[in-house]
Parts: sequence; C-alpha cells; structure tokens
Amino acid sequence: MTSGTLDKDTAHGNRVYWTTWGILLLLTLVMVVLDASPLPRVALVLCMLAAMLMKVSFIGLNFMHLRAERLSLVLVVVIGLLVTGSFLYMLILPDAYRILEMNGGG
Amino acid sequence: MSNGVTETAGSVSMPVLGRWDGGSCPFDTGWRKLMMWVFIVGDGLIFAGFLAAFGFARAMTAEWPDQSQVFHLSLIAFMTFVLISSSATMASAVGCARDGDLAGASKWVFLTLLGGALFLGIQAYEWTTLIGEGARLNHNPWGVPLFGAYFFLITGFHGFHVLTGVIVLATLAWRMSRGVATSGGVELAGLYWHFIDLVWVFVFTCFYLL
Repeated sequence: MTSGTLDKDTAHGNRVYWTTWGILLLLTLVMVVLDASPLPRVALVLCMLAAMLMKVSFIGLNFMHLRAERLSLVLVVVIGLLVTGSFLYMLILPDAYRILEMNGGG
Repeated sequence: MSNGVTETAGSVSMPVLGRWDGGSCPFDTGWRKLMMWVFIVGDGLIFAGFLAAFGFARAMTAEWPDQSQVFHLSLIAFMTFVLISSSATMASAVGCARDGDLAGASKWVFLTLLGGALFLGIQAYEWTTLIGEGARLNHNPWGVPLFGAYFFLITGFHGFHVLTGVIVLATLAWRMSRGVATSGGVELAGLYWHFIDLVWVFVFTCFYLL
C-alpha cells in the first residue's frame, strides 16, 4: 500500500469514528430531551428502546468493527447477546406483573 | 474404520480431527481476538441478567422512585458524553495502530485513559452524594429498598469494568512508551473499552431514563 493510500484510509477511518461519535451524542441528547417531554409512557419507552438499539448498533458496527468481521462472528455476537437477553427479559417479565397483581398493585 | 480414517490407541490421525475441529478458521480471526469476543458475549450476558432482574423488580413494584428526583440527569448525561468521547478516541487509537502509527495511537490511548479516569471520578462523586443522602444497599430515603440495591449493584459492576479498563489502558500506554506494544494489543484493549461504552448505553437507558 502506498503512503498516499494509507493516509486516505486513515482519514476515512477517522471520519467514520468521529461521525459515529456525533451521531451517538445526538441520540443521547434526543433521549434526554424525550425523557423530559410529556409523551405517553408506551411511546416514550418505544422511542427510548429504538434510540438505545441504534446507539448499540453504531458502537458495534463502527467502533468494534463488526462491519468488517465475518458474518458468522457477527451472528454469534448478536444472537448471543441481543436475542438471549431479550428472551431472558420476556420470560421473566410476565411473572413480575403476576406478583404485582397478587399484591394488589396492578 | 471406514472412509480412510485411521485411529490407533493413543493417537488420532488427521482425518478424525478434520471432522471435529470446526472447519478451517470459521470466524477468520486470531484466537486472542476471538477469545475477547467470547469474553464480551459472556460478560454481556451477566449484565443482561442484572438488567433483566432490575426490570423484574421494577415491574413488580407499584411505586418506583422517580429518577429525576434522585439523580442529577445533567451529570449522568455528562458522564455519557465522556464515555462516548473516550470510545471515539479509543477507536482512533485502534485506527492509528492498525496503520502502524503507534506514536499517534499512544496519544489517543492517553486521551481515552483521561476520559475513563474522569468518568470514574464523576461516578465516585455521584455515589458519595447518594450515600450522603442515606442510600444504602438495603434501604434508601426514596421508599423501595430494591432501588438502592440495584443502583449500587449495576453501576458498581459497570464502574468496576471501567476501573479495569483504565488499568488495561495504563498498562498499554506503558508498553507503548517502551515500544513493546503491538497493534493487536491496542485492538483488544479497544474492543474491551467499546464494550464498556456499549453496556453503559443499556444502563443509562434502563436505569436512569426509563
């Protein structure tokens, strides 16, 4: 690789990192503003979860370079973390609401 | 044995291994980086367990303390800014190291180290303030005992990871100053640091905002 190409690659890489940084800050700002807004609870939760997943995706793809990894590794990481975590949450959450109802708080 | 596979007592020939070694390089990555990913997935699942348990406690409790009354959200948002910025500087360090510019990488690693130390300092201030207001593991002034327990458990476990990351980065900076660090080592430290940032995204959203 020539030094000119190397410089171009480095500049491109740094641009991706700092663009990602800007997007992450913007999303964080949006989340903080939304938190203070009078949105209905369900809409607020959905917006927050969407923003959270977008932030996580940007970190994984651009900072952790999952974009450049083989699909098999990406699938192991994404399925291992996101899907397992979601299942864990979905399996135990109904029981929490049952306990809340039993205690007369539902 | 059929299919040309030979197996003798005490030794196994290559064809047998060939069927069980998972193919050739299925992830196309070195073992150190692969082990870091395995660690990240495993550690991430521990955090997922904590956050799921927190969600369970939150959902089964009728009155959960209002976070805006307990925390200074502007301070937490600033902590998030610091961690995101340190992640960007770490990514730049990895980029420089990949291109063979270890002097440039060293500068970015140092900035990341400062970011991590600042984050820990603000967290120490937050903990001190809340403990001063009466927050403990088993009780707190806001009514729900589990609130304090989960606060100290989740932010404490994350803070422990940040502290570990700061130690890793300090070691890396020291190795870079001696000229013995490799670009692979910078990349591994970077993966760990971005994982800390990634977990904070979940903690910030689930614990401080929702």
